[in-house]
Amino acid sequence: MGYPWSNQKTEMIEEMPMAATDMVIMDTGRSYRGYVPWIAALVAILIWEAVAALHVVSSVALPSPIQVFRDLIATATVGYSGQTLLNSTLFSFGRIAVGFVLAVLVGVPIGFWMATTDWVFLIIDPFLQFLRPIPPLAYLPLIVAWFGIGELPKVILIFFCTIPIIIISAMSGVKGVQENRKRVAQCFGANHWQMFRYVILPSALPEVFTGMRVGIGVAWTCLVAAEMIAASRGLGWMIMSAGGQLQIGVVFVGIIIIGLLGYGMELGIRTMEKKMVPWKGQA
Amino acid sequence: MIQFMDVGKMYPATGKGGEPTVAVQEFSLTIEDGEFCSIVGPSGCGKTTILNMLAGFETPTRGQIMAGDQVVTKPGPERAVVFQRPSLLPWMTVFDNIGFGLTIRDKNPKGHNLEITQMVEEMGLSGFERHYPYQLSGGMQQRVSIARALITDPASLLMDEPFGALDAQTRSDMQRFLLELWKTSQPTVLFITHDVDEAILLSDRVVVMTPRPGMVSEEFQIELKRPRKWDSILSTEFLRYKKQILSVLRHEAF
Ligand SMILES: Nc1ncnc2c1ncn2[C@@H]1O[C@H](COP(=O)(O)OP(=O)(O)O)[C@@H](O)[C@H]1O
Ligand SMILES: [Mg+2]
Repeated sequence: MGYPWSNQKTEMIEEMPMAATDMVIMDTGRSYRGYVPWIAALVAILIWEAVAALHVVSSVALPSPIQVFRDLIATATVGYSGQTLLNSTLFSFGRIAVGFVLAVLVGVPIGFWMATTDWVFLIIDPFLQFLRPIPPLAYLPLIVAWFGIGELPKVILIFFCTIPIIIISAMSGVKGVQENRKRVAQCFGANHWQMFRYVILPSALPEVFTGMRVGIGVAWTCLVAAEMIAASRGLGWMIMSAGGQLQIGVVFVGIIIIGLLGYGMELGIRTMEKKMVPWKGQA
Repeated sequence: MIQFMDVGKMYPATGKGGEPTVAVQEFSLTIEDGEFCSIVGPSGCGKTTILNMLAGFETPTRGQIMAGDQVVTKPGPERAVVFQRPSLLPWMTVFDNIGFGLTIRDKNPKGHNLEITQMVEEMGLSGFERHYPYQLSGGMQQRVSIARALITDPASLLMDEPFGALDAQTRSDMQRFLLELWKTSQPTVLFITHDVDEAILLSDRVVVMTPRPGMVSEEFQIELKRPRKWDSILSTEFLRYKKQILSVLRHEAF
């Protein structure tokens, strides 16, 4: 039986003026958001400079920002132990990118599967909970013994450090789907695929992104551990090696580059997030 | 025709030592095609449970429910539901939300532009097609929910306190709006509310429920002539119905 809902006249709308509350809620950006972070960074550098200039600690232990800048130029041009900064950075970045992307590609489907299929959850969850609290340094020797000292063990270490976070966030994203939203799709007779495509996947995405943002931080944390595996290049290697030779300026260069890169990747994921889940935190 | 035949619903006990909850008991009700039927009752008396069973989200533990000539076993597009809290999909625009039922039915998100545009105009949502639900007021969100429910031409419309979260002015606008929509084609409506005024103003019949376990306490045929206007609620007839219904509710609540 068909109901001619669509034959409605427009006069009805005139009869019913919209209430004052029926307005679109707009969000306006604030201008100070643009420069406050820069001022904060500048103040931090000035304090650092002041502490160094006052010789509170010896200049070997705490080089001044200017000294670190000189070391930056030196490692960028001449290099450190035969590796330029760009070279080290690219290697570290590559290891992180491969390990992290693999963790996302493998972890997200596993998390979804665990959330929807009970026996999968029962099988994988004990391993996940067991692996999660182990610090990466603890299984470093095992990874070296099994995978040698090339690029593979480094990538594997980053992969294993980040994948639990990704799995757990994907799983909780799916479990957090609002019942009403699933019911809407059921009402219209959605099949499993449609339910996943239109309701479950988009519901889970915000949490997946949160997991990715946490995960990328952890990946950088693991990097130093990964590059302790007989590495001869990479930012983690550079830091450890320069530290051993008391070249604290180079250590600072490494730390700053890692911080900036981590921050940059976080911003990248945040931008992706804004594009893909613009409703996050608002519904 | 919708028929509840001696329907009961018992929720199992939660945790050890808990008692199972009998939410609804011996509930029988027949709603004619095209009838606008409201259910009022104290909070927790099983109104939502009844609607969820008719929608097919929950199964009765006793008796059965017929919609048309079919026993209800699962949700279906001929029984559209409008939820209390807007259940719009936040990742879709107003346009896509309204067309969601067509997307699911035809397994294709494209090719419904004409129908959706018509519905958007009818619902007074023109200009908001590209907005996301969180950018709309509560009243507009509920309008989108109603539009989404109606676009697949359902035989019946199930509404669970759809205007409960709205302010008085918007609520009254939405009531008139719903009556206008219903007037043209008169689908069967099961409307749940705890607002007696709203029930009388909208309905052909008001069913009053007892406190939990919910049963039909009394039914009132509302013979106010249509179209009903906002000032209908001031007529002596209206007040008489209101007095009768309130006295049953009071009595039931002890
Ligand atoms: N899923 C559930 N599990 C256990 N008890 C429930 C569940 N849903 C509702 N109830 C109980 O059933 C009774 C009726 O609930 P409900 O139908 O939501 O009432 P109403 O909509 O009239 O306020 C309440 O006492 C409630 O606590
Ligand atoms: Mg309820």
